[in-house]
Amino acid sequence: MSTNPFEALGLPADPGLSDEQVRAAWRQIAAAAHPDRADGGDLDRYTQASAAYAELRTPWGRSEAHADLVEQSWRVGGADDRSDTVPLPVVGTGQLPPPVPPWQPLIDLARLPVRICHGRPLRLLARGLVAAGLCLVVLALIPGQPAAPADVGGLILWFVLTGRRDLAPPPER
Amino acid sequence: MSVWSWLKLAVGLWVLRKLLRATGWLLLAAVAAAAWPVTLVTVTGYTAAWLRGWPPVRLYRAAAWVLPVTVAWLAGAEVRAPGWAAALAPGRAWVRDLEHPAGMELARAFALAAPAAVPAGLALAGLAWAWRNYAITAGLGGVMASAPITFDTRQWKRQVRTARGLTAAPGAVPLLARGGQIPVGGTIRAVGHRWHPVFAVPSSACGRHMVIVGSTGSGKTNLMIRLWAGWFTATLQQARSGRGNRPLLVVLDCKGGRDSRRKADRTRRLMYGAGARRVAVWPDEARLSLWDLPPADLAVLLYQMIESGTGAAAYYADVLQAVLTLAVLAPCGPPVNMAGFLDRLDAKWLQQAWGDGRHAAEAARVRGAARHLPDIQLRYATLLGRLGPALDGPGNLADADAWYFILEGTREPSVAQAQAMAITELAAQAATALDGEPRAILLAADDYSAVSGRVPVSNLYERGRSLGIGVQVSAQSWQGLGKDDDERYRIAATADGGIFVMHTSYPEPLTQLAGKRRVLETAHKLIGNSWGDEGTTRVQRAWTADPDLIRRLAVGQACYIHRGAATFVQVARPQPSPLTLLPRPAPADPPVQLPVPRQEPAPPAWPVTARRDLDDVFGPGADR
Repeated sequence: MSTNPFEALGLPADPGLSDEQVRAAWRQIAAAAHPDRADGGDLDRYTQASAAYAELRTPWGRSEAHADLVEQSWRVGGADDRSDTVPLPVVGTGQLPPPVPPWQPLIDLARLPVRICHGRPLRLLARGLVAAGLCLVVLALIPGQPAAPADVGGLILWFVLTGRRDLAPPPER
Repeated sequence: MSVWSWLKLAVGLWVLRKLLRATGWLLLAAVAAAAWPVTLVTVTGYTAAWLRGWPPVRLYRAAAWVLPVTVAWLAGAEVRAPGWAAALAPGRAWVRDLEHPAGMELARAFALAAPAAVPAGLALAGLAWAWRNYAITAGLGGVMASAPITFDTRQWKRQVRTARGLTAAPGAVPLLARGGQIPVGGTIRAVGHRWHPVFAVPSSACGRHMVIVGSTGSGKTNLMIRLWAGWFTATLQQARSGRGNRPLLVVLDCKGGRDSRRKADRTRRLMYGAGARRVAVWPDEARLSLWDLPPADLAVLLYQMIESGTGAAAYYADVLQAVLTLAVLAPCGPPVNMAGFLDRLDAKWLQQAWGDGRHAAEAARVRGAARHLPDIQLRYATLLGRLGPALDGPGNLADADAWYFILEGTREPSVAQAQAMAITELAAQAATALDGEPRAILLAADDYSAVSGRVPVSNLYERGRSLGIGVQVSAQSWQGLGKDDDERYRIAATADGGIFVMHTSYPEPLTQLAGKRRVLETAHKLIGNSWGDEGTTRVQRAWTADPDLIRRLAVGQACYIHRGAATFVQVARPQPSPLTLLPRPAPADPPVQLPVPRQEPAPPAWPVTARRDLDDVFGPGADR
């Protein structure tokens, strides 16, 4: 059975779908695949669509299903299909996680490529290209002027301040 | 004065006024054209603020961010050519542009002037946008009388769009921000609070008391889960750095059903992402032992769990309480499980336990209550049977970092009420226990009104306050917060962690807590169908948190009321960082260390003194 309820109803994976859209999709499939039809219908498809409709009939359900799909796609190493909701073994009281090491900034820096990959890399790339292009224009227009490094610095500042939201958040945040 | 003279005077004054005004505008236009780089930035900033619904402060902050670049530019220019020769380059380029305006030259002039023009232009745009906001809201600006309304409606839409865009960005609203702040979502509008693009509440606010009100489907669950995860992450980080205790999250989901299981699953997923090592879902996957409570508290709790009535039934209630005290505080120790407790509600057992000769008063009470004991035993057997085995142990709150309790408050309200009482008692005990590890506890009750039969939420609240537990209460409406207005106000007015109001049809009592703010109201004199030159302005009072705006909130939008100010926010769906790597499972699953069930202590053996007495009477070995 498909794990994507949106797919089962032939809908785009969008949490913003309306109740009417979901109901219409369900009715269409139910009419075409119901086992009471003269041609016997398609029981499997009908069952899948019924389950998907039960899941997607409320806005909250759609939001949950969409979030599940997003998180599935996030899993590091697609082969690891272990559910992350399996209860872990009981940990003894008083056992704290290890403290933050002093070289944490270096670790954060090393994680930057992964954060870019899991964020919005295309948007970040677009921002970077705009900033780089403007920097080149400035350097071509006013070479050697004191304003040139200031302009370039300003553009880099803009890129850093606006681009950080396109990165995936660091672990445990 | 003749009519003609008066007419000439009036027309003359009108023309003079118009001329003065036109001169002013012309001068302004001349300055704007002369300082075109600044004008360009100002217009761009103003338009961006108008289109995106930014408040003026956003432009001021942008100007402030650019200032270090300006200072560095000036310093560099001064070092390179003392006497501000290089700093005057933009002026010279500007003069050249005025003489030979050409595309490349203009661009060059702008690039040269940018370090000064950008902050100046942004600051001017902020001022202009602030004036526009002021003029419109005070009724001084706008062409039509409806200008304030249309302006506000349009800006709200833009503010919502901007906030939604921000919450969609993966890194904009993480679970925890710097300084222990819990980001909630993109700010739509701040009234009285400082405006930030991402609205965040301090984690300490969750450690106090917080109220969340929103109807079904308003996005309450998302908000609550986000707050839990944020609080947990912040508290765990504080514990790691030695500045606090390890967190313990206790969630009471008082509605039950399938949705609750799903919510529990999601909460668990998020809590693992936030660093929790074990998240227990009760009663499906974990158990607790009610019998771990201190004996005196256990006796009181067991008494409260049974409906005892008033009036004539008060007599029975006293008997019930006396029997429970005798059963639980027996000299051999408290009961350790349900079966052991029910065994004790037996005259023979109690007589045996208290009949050691040193507890004459208790033994007399046992004899007095003997005829009620089968009835009491039957009632408790029924109650505990309905509660199920999930409160019969083994297990205690310290076994996990977070507990998600699913109470079937909709299907079985009376059972859920009793369970809620037991669980809150266990949480209180965990907060006050001297022997275990101290924990920072957040007790969150979702739709607590479904189970607040005999223990009102205000009681839970006050208890939490006295024990230092953070309490978070959610309800679907103002009415759901408590039985009567007294109780509701007691809960809402003491929510020092703030109140989140989501879409609800009756927000007035909650918005009253935000109070009112002073606004200017301008009345224009109408001449025919158009505004005249005269009017009055007076100070009026308006809602800080507008109830009508709250009634119109869409899914996922909330109004945070705290300290007489309000912030409207678009709540971001909480998601763990995709980089969070869960601990890999061990090659062979280690055996789960479950506590060993305790053995029920047996009462002392029947005293043999009676036989000795008979021997004394009849003599040893005498024929009886």
